[in-house]
Amino acid sequence: MAATAAAVVTRPIAPEQASLWSDAWRRLRRNRLALAGVVYLTFLVVVALVALIHTPYPTYEVGVGIPYQGPGGQHWLGVDALGRDTLSRLMAGAQISLIVGVGTQIVVLAIGVPIGLAAGYFRGWFDQVVTFIINLFYGIPDLLVALILVFLLGPNLTNIIIAIAVTRWMDMARLVRGQTLSLREREFIEAARASGAKPSKILFGHILPNALGPIIIQATFGVPAAILFEAFLSFLGLGVPPPTPTWGSMAAEGIVTIRIAPAMVIAPSIALSLTLMAFNFLGDGLRDALDPRQRR
Amino acid sequence: MFTRGTLIYIGQRLVLIVLAVLGVSSLVFLGIHRLPGDALFSEHLHGTQYELTLHHYGLDRPLWLQYVSFIGGMLHGDLGESLVNRGVSITPIVVREMSVSAEVGIVALLFTIGIGMSFGVVAAIRQNTWLDYVLSTTSVVGYSMPNFVVATFLILAFGVWLDNITQGTFYFQIGWPGRYGTIGAIWLPAFALGFPYASIVARLTRASMLEVIRQDYIRTARAKGLREWVITIRHSLRNALIPVITILGPLVIGIITGGVVIENIFGIPGLGKEFATSILNRDYNIVIGVFTGYAALVGLANLGVDLLYVVIDPRIRY
Repeated sequence: MAATAAAVVTRPIAPEQASLWSDAWRRLRRNRLALAGVVYLTFLVVVALVALIHTPYPTYEVGVGIPYQGPGGQHWLGVDALGRDTLSRLMAGAQISLIVGVGTQIVVLAIGVPIGLAAGYFRGWFDQVVTFIINLFYGIPDLLVALILVFLLGPNLTNIIIAIAVTRWMDMARLVRGQTLSLREREFIEAARASGAKPSKILFGHILPNALGPIIIQATFGVPAAILFEAFLSFLGLGVPPPTPTWGSMAAEGIVTIRIAPAMVIAPSIALSLTLMAFNFLGDGLRDALDPRQRR
Repeated sequence: MFTRGTLIYIGQRLVLIVLAVLGVSSLVFLGIHRLPGDALFSEHLHGTQYELTLHHYGLDRPLWLQYVSFIGGMLHGDLGESLVNRGVSITPIVVREMSVSAEVGIVALLFTIGIGMSFGVVAAIRQNTWLDYVLSTTSVVGYSMPNFVVATFLILAFGVWLDNITQGTFYFQIGWPGRYGTIGAIWLPAFALGFPYASIVARLTRASMLEVIRQDYIRTARAKGLREWVITIRHSLRNALIPVITILGPLVIGIITGGVVIENIFGIPGLGKEFATSILNRDYNIVIGVFTGYAALVGLANLGVDLLYVVIDPRIRY
């Protein structure tokens, strides 16, 4: 009896205070696939940064190797149709993919979060208009809208990011709206309202921090979607214009000569798939970590 | 199944589809006509010749008049004339290409649903076994592969490696053979088109199957001594299907848009190939026409999905 009592006293009643974020981080670390995703993405960012100052061969330089040369020797991943080194171009292509992926999400957050917050909190006609527009956008094939926008605006990096964001903002707006709708009925929001807090303070000080988990998950899944879109656009010849290397346009160039130089298309394809996979695994891990109730 | 109410519903939806198609094509029309420059500007056309060509296409009229005649033509099913190939009218082209795209899309959808549901069902029945983990991981891998990557590896496998290894015994003609409706030319592109979406179906099926097989009526069915596959297929899967079909709408749109890429890789003369070609050729009239065709295709596909609900779940009624 005494021994158990002593044990109870010496053992702290509750484990040390763990905040939501450190708790989530602990759960995320246990998820091996998500961790692998983080490691790969860190590697990718490093590669993209290194490519800024150094690539094995100059990215734009034509004729550094024999055209269509396979992998091995001087050129690890082979040489493309114009005699450019594939590895160097792959490294530089990582920059475009990451810029488009993250840039699009920043724009999507900037559009979707305020709209979703306002629609969910103020309800009324504004909410109805927003819901109508969101449903309208869901009905139109997003890739076609992005294609036509890039066509109308002209293909360059900024316009591509704008075009992809225009077709992807509804997911975020709908999510934030739904979160806001459920959070605004909770007691702590009512308390804030009763104590006379301004709507902006309630929205950005109380509702947004509580909706942050789902928003982060959504943004993580949004990055690979945007990268995929950019690859599609580049593949169809409406991406960042040549000679800037992008994975999509490299694959499009390579698929034509698939019989004689398969490495030209395999290398960017695998890089693209691995990147998308890493983001998706990370997103899955984050979802399990931040929202343990909603286990798949 | 299809009551009078359903028919009225279909009628209303068709009217809405027509309105949506008109709206979408008007937006594209106005967007394209706002572009700087001139569709026919080139160094081969000078003076009178240029004026005559402009006049032929009615591009010398004010914008509102062009728009009125464009909408008038649309209402008669006339999408105008190609700017690059003079005298070629667009409507028959778009209609033919729509049927090709629809054919590939339907086969792709069958792949998506077939692969996705079988993966999902197996993963749910064998929950937390190695099979479940393998299938779930495969799903994420499949979802992360863009369809042109799947297509690339299919072409490599069937068009290059298999041919090389067997010294030409197994040689697959990849691409459209020119005949209409041969499944053999469709199934590789359709697989590449449908496979990335199969993982979404697999995840949903698994999740909703897991929920259903814990229900009391499944225990009842098992207690009655029904065979296991009867329980799985007739009692569990049928109920697990309902959340799955809600994703069919976005899925169909995904497959339709994915077709743009796949058709260009495999050289299938569908809407997607025409879309990319016409954009690169700057044949504005065809761009508008193809976009109109896409709007119609998406509208009709969504209507089809909504009607499918009624077939699968008799509780839903319009």
